[in-house]
Amino acid sequence: MKARGILSSALAFMALVSVAGKAPAAELEASMLANTCNGCHGPNGTSYGPAAPTIGGTNAAYMFETMIAFREGERPSTIMQRIAKGYSDEELKLIADYFAKQPFGRVVDQDTDPDLVARGKQIYDNLCEDCHEDEGMSAIDYPALAGQMMPYLDHQLHDLISGRRDLEKNEALSSKERRKKMRNLKELVETEGGDGVAAVIHFFGSKN
Amino acid sequence: MTNLSRRNFIKIGGAAVAGATLGLPHIARAAGGNVVIVGGGVGGATTARYLKLANPDISVTVVEPKASYHTCFMSNEVLGGERTLEGIEVGYDGLKSMGITMVQDRAAGIDPDAKTVTTAGGETLSFDRCVVAPGISFVTDGIEGYDEAAQEKIPHAWQAGPQTALLRSQLEAMEDGGLVVIIAPPNPFRCPPGPYERASLIAHYLKAEKPKSKVMILDPKEKFSKQGLFTQAWKDLYGFGTDDSMIEWNTFSKVGAINKLDAAAMTVETDFESFDPAVINYIPPQKAGKIALNADLADDSGWCPVDKMTFESSKHAGVHVIGDAAIATAMPKSGYSANSQGKVTAAAIVAALSGKEMPQPSYVNTCYSIAGTDYGFSVAAVYRYNAEDNTIAGVKGAGGLTPVDASAEQRKREVAFAHSWYNNIRKDTWG
Ligand SMILES: Cc1cc2nc3c(=O)[nH]c(=O)nc-3n(C[C@H](O)[C@H](O)[C@H](O)COP(=O)(O)OP(=O)(O)OC[C@H]3O[C@@H](n4cnc5c(N)ncnc54)[C@H](O)[C@@H]3O)c2cc1C
Repeated sequence: MKARGILSSALAFMALVSVAGKAPAAELEASMLANTCNGCHGPNGTSYGPAAPTIGGTNAAYMFETMIAFREGERPSTIMQRIAKGYSDEELKLIADYFAKQPFGRVVDQDTDPDLVARGKQIYDNLCEDCHEDEGMSAIDYPALAGQMMPYLDHQLHDLISGRRDLEKNEALSSKERRKKMRNLKELVETEGGDGVAAVIHFFGSKN
Repeated sequence: MTNLSRRNFIKIGGAAVAGATLGLPHIARAAGGNVVIVGGGVGGATTARYLKLANPDISVTVVEPKASYHTCFMSNEVLGGERTLEGIEVGYDGLKSMGITMVQDRAAGIDPDAKTVTTAGGETLSFDRCVVAPGISFVTDGIEGYDEAAQEKIPHAWQAGPQTALLRSQLEAMEDGGLVVIIAPPNPFRCPPGPYERASLIAHYLKAEKPKSKVMILDPKEKFSKQGLFTQAWKDLYGFGTDDSMIEWNTFSKVGAINKLDAAAMTVETDFESFDPAVINYIPPQKAGKIALNADLADDSGWCPVDKMTFESSKHAGVHVIGDAAIATAMPKSGYSANSQGKVTAAAIVAALSGKEMPQPSYVNTCYSIAGTDYGFSVAAVYRYNAEDNTIAGVKGAGGLTPVDASAEQRKREVAFAHSWYNNIRKDTWG
């Protein structure tokens, strides 16, 4: 048994050497980095809910900027500020590009109220459609919102309206875009009352 | 079933060794190589899935005695009455649908030289690479009155399933005014915040249903995971620190170490005191799963040393050990760690089987704890491999705990994210 132990540790030692010898040259790989996100955000970034957002199939530039904003403490979060601090710009770029190439899965049938969905559609046409095109399905210029988790949409709208998530700090947007988004959010709250926010959430949540 | 073969085995000193390997007929080989995985828990299932996702030509066989798996995560919600036992059960159809072979049996021996795994049922599985992810085993000696048989009356509920159901039924049966004693394990052990989340969710149940009852934690440790956050939660929810507190935390240094557990009389005796609880939840000290110990994969600590980049055993080449059984430096023994390590190991094996170079490993851990209604918090870390000293270390400045002064809204969101984490990691692990 002893001899076997020595032999196998010699083998293990060789294995160690061969791997360790390669370590400095090992390359960053997008999937290796991105796969660690799936534990919370679901396989390929498609969330099975109830709240963690789907990040697969989202807009690459938006995701990159968002991760930077988390890292710099400019966008509020529960946990993402702590996690984003673990990555370099280069790594975040790889992660964002990787998820942008995955499909945006809409796998959860979320509970929606048909009346709110109908009202939400009107509000959407009026206030959201310019940016979040194709009923929120498009992720070409802005993040896709259709089929996004409703509690997540609720958190974000809540934070945007309260100013906790401060659009003024979002350098990825032009000042014109910022002004427009602030104006529309204000209108959402003022002209539609509390239900307006719920209505757009139900509208986006109804898409699958 | 291309990698199955039946051979005659001779047993030498407990280790199964294949006889006359050279003389045997050639084993049919999968184009991508054969991987045998011991354990269909978090680490094993994740590795299986990510191997298949990376290269469908790799033949992947998982040896697992259970027909379905109960997740330990969220099992404390079952104890608290917030979730059913079926709600934490997951089957293996997701793995099977990817072309992964499930062998429903216990692995009885691993021979790293012959590169075979033998099952209790006598099947012999040949591998190019083996992954061992058996989780934990319990140290049951050292306390008078306690052995494996006693677990039928004094559940550990630290492997979910029937043990969880037993502990829940005891909580349901106890009368108002009863005492629940949780005996926490020494470090290192599976799920460092687990005993304290358990105390919280049992108190949550008792507060609503049996408000004169109490939970007492007896702890060999002087401090514990997320202590500030749990203490704050217990103050906010269960009167911690007052005379009416529903939770009490006593260290062995204060009440003495456990000497005797009497399953018939339901008593707990320590060096200085004796308790008369209605329910005893003894979570014993832990080691790597038995198969890892028997296959000579563990060191004197009872856990398995590995190369931190590939999780290849430091003792036996070609065999990887992941999850709770492995020594992974800074990574805690958690489901998220086992899942993350499974992905790194899959990448290491894909690289090894194809003769390519493995990319830089990347590892993450996130652990949520739920202390009561709308009351959640978390710890997170992003890790890097350090080749110089073969360690996995947290990235400085990243990760850490939910702030103790987080708002009620933040705590509520963390519960929603804990439940999301649960749904997503289940899918990510078992498909
Ligand atoms: C109460 C509690 C709460 C927890 N909460 C969390 C949490 O919120 N988040 C988190 O990340 N982690 C949590 N954990 C920890 C988590 O459950 C473990 O860290 C995780 O399961 C480890 O994965 P593993 O693959 O190493 O072992 P396991 O998941 O235990 O899998 C081991 C598998 O191997 C099988 N096996 C054993 N021996 C053999 C053999 N000889 N042959 C074949 N198969 C074998 C077993 O049947 C089992 O299915 C919690 C744990 C507990 C107890």
